Amino acid sequence: MNALLIENITKRFGDFYAVRNLSLKVPEGSIYSLLGPNGAGKTTTIRMVMNIIIPDEGSIQVLNEKMNNRMQSRVGYLPEDRGLYPKMKVGELLLFLSALKGVQKLEARNRIDAWLNRFDLASWKQKKVEELSRGMQQKIQFIATVIHQPDLIILDEPFSGLDPVNTKLFKDIMLEMKNQGRTIIFSTHRMEQVEMISDNICLINKAEMVLEGNLTQIKKQYGKNTVVLDYDGDASFIQSLPEVEKIDDYGKFMEIKLREQSDPQDLLDKAVGKIRINKFEVREPTLNAIFIEKVGETNEKYTNGH
Amino acid sequence: MRNILTVIKREYIQIVRTKGFIIGTILGPVLMAAFIVVPILIQFVSVDKQEKIGVVDLSREVFVELDKKLDQELKDGGRRYILQEFTIKDNLDQLLEELNKKVLDKELTAYIHIPENISEGGVAEYVSEHVSDFDKQGNIGQALSSIIIEKRLKGEGLDPEKIGQYMRPVRLDTKKVTTRGVERDIGGTFMISFVLVLILYMTVIFYGQIILRGVIEEKSSRVVEIVLSSLKPFQLMAGKILGIAAVGFTQYAIWALFGIAASKYSGNVVSRFFPAAADIPMPTIPAYLFVYFIIFFILGYFLYGTMYAGIGSMVNNEKEAQQLVMPVTMFLIIPIMLMTFVIRSPDSSVSVILSLIPFFAPILMLLRISVLLPPFSQIAASIVFTILTTILMIWVSAKIYRVGILMYGKRPGFAEIIKWMRYG
Repeated sequence: MNALLIENITKRFGDFYAVRNLSLKVPEGSIYSLLGPNGAGKTTTIRMVMNIIIPDEGSIQVLNEKMNNRMQSRVGYLPEDRGLYPKMKVGELLLFLSALKGVQKLEARNRIDAWLNRFDLASWKQKKVEELSRGMQQKIQFIATVIHQPDLIILDEPFSGLDPVNTKLFKDIMLEMKNQGRTIIFSTHRMEQVEMISDNICLINKAEMVLEGNLTQIKKQYGKNTVVLDYDGDASFIQSLPEVEKIDDYGKFMEIKLREQSDPQDLLDKAVGKIRINKFEVREPTLNAIFIEKVGETNEKYTNGH
Repeated sequence: MRNILTVIKREYIQIVRTKGFIIGTILGPVLMAAFIVVPILIQFVSVDKQEKIGVVDLSREVFVELDKKLDQELKDGGRRYILQEFTIKDNLDQLLEELNKKVLDKELTAYIHIPENISEGGVAEYVSEHVSDFDKQGNIGQALSSIIIEKRLKGEGLDPEKIGQYMRPVRLDTKKVTTRGVERDIGGTFMISFVLVLILYMTVIFYGQIILRGVIEEKSSRVVEIVLSSLKPFQLMAGKILGIAAVGFTQYAIWALFGIAASKYSGNVVSRFFPAAADIPMPTIPAYLFVYFIIFFILGYFLYGTMYAGIGSMVNNEKEAQQLVMPVTMFLIIPIMLMTFVIRSPDSSVSVILSLIPFFAPILMLLRISVLLPPFSQIAASIVFTILTTILMIWVSAKIYRVGILMYGKRPGFAEIIKWMRYG
């Protein structure tokens, strides 16, 4: 069963393709992340799923139905452009948004109190939204997204602007929701978040999908040809070694892509004695590396193509 | 439908609760009453004061008569004007100089300088610090005129009393003929038409601006996308316009209650203070006019309200909105400028055509109805045209709104807006 099934959707704004021939499947009960650089078409895709804009071509099925008004109360949505009515009181605003989703008043009140307590915002219930900090407003928006206990939760950049404590809180709640059988789709640039919690990913660049599937399988495809090195000293010589295809150097940390058929052991031998090695790990490439490689590839294709 | 109701409720409660609404609703009738009552009060109150007036009578034949004629009384029965004659000691200039000083020192409120040749057309002068008390100047001028005219008539051997009777003006009573018979009209209808039309004009603009600001707030605070994940753009727009309409009706209802109370009790209050005022018949609003007023307010509100909503969705802030709102507001101002023309010739073909144009109809047809009830076919036609135009505007605005509400950045040009309307 798929919580979301997108088939060949295209959206143009004038001559500009925001999304081109995109298809994807989100299995029910999974966490799915949409990745891609700015302007890739993530938000447009999400807005089409939410029926806020209509695709020019293709079809979208949400929870096995075409998106309709009844469906909207089974879906929770946190938009990228976040905002709340600045003059409304927090409690009232949440009550209004729950009413739009068809939650009974009494039930809504209970849930609002529970969520405000969990986010440590109970004392702000009677305050106006404009008195809240940005981080607090983001929590209120998150509550509004899940208050009606939706089966499908779509979060556009949920972690942007959050401190580590609240990022963990959001991540914990997302996992909790997954364990309750709900499906979560979120878009982000933050690869470490994706690697930790996503089951499936979709990488979009320049309006087109460049990679989709189960995260574990994707990584396997790339094989164990990556070495992660935690070191001290001058490691600039590594780049010119014959085993090395590409490096991504952070100064004390390096991700090395090896040429095919080369043995990581040779690399270790050559490095010993020249630098101090704290950690040497052979593994699949990080999602970050895959992301950069894939986006680089498609961008090259575009610049050559034009 | 449930969603629209939720939006209506939110709009209504949020606006009705604001200080602006509460103050405006209460202050409106108070200001209105103040505009009518205060000038009357001021006139009556400020007048009730004894005044000393100097008289320099160079003709030597007016003062005694003038003293007799200016016998207006104060409330306590004393004389309102105390006249004091001044005669020339050395020369006129010196005397006038002295009197000017007395006026400035507040010994006299004013003095009157009557020239020697007053009977032959000489000009009398009234000198005072304040020369805007028309009531007092009128009293003095009338008294002087009647004295001099009597003198002239007597000089010719005529009886002033008889001449007075001959010269009595003819009274012209205005009456209004309607299908229900002939009614006396002393200009009350005219005033009512004016006031009703202005109320309609001002409230349509006022509530239109509230819609505009509401849409811009939703857009600029970026709350709109969260809301749109639960309902259609059209439902949000409709809910907003209907919710603010409910606010308008609440305000009207409160004002109407004030009005009914005022017309019930104001008679008593006014006649207690000013017995003379009780004789003036209070103009009444015929029921049909009231019904048409409500109909045309609703039509005008929805026609202009949807246009304001459409504009609000196109812009990023209120400053940008003002440029786009201008042409729409012009459609409301033009009929106001045409008011006097339509009042003077309500059934001319130009007036008829103007009042059938949907954008002008709410104001001009209402005006025509209040001045001279037009044939029902014309009223019905203007209502139908306006409804059709409103439906068209709702369709256009909804299309623009649906796209515009999520577009940020540069304000769209005309071509771009046409493109928006084509988006599926």
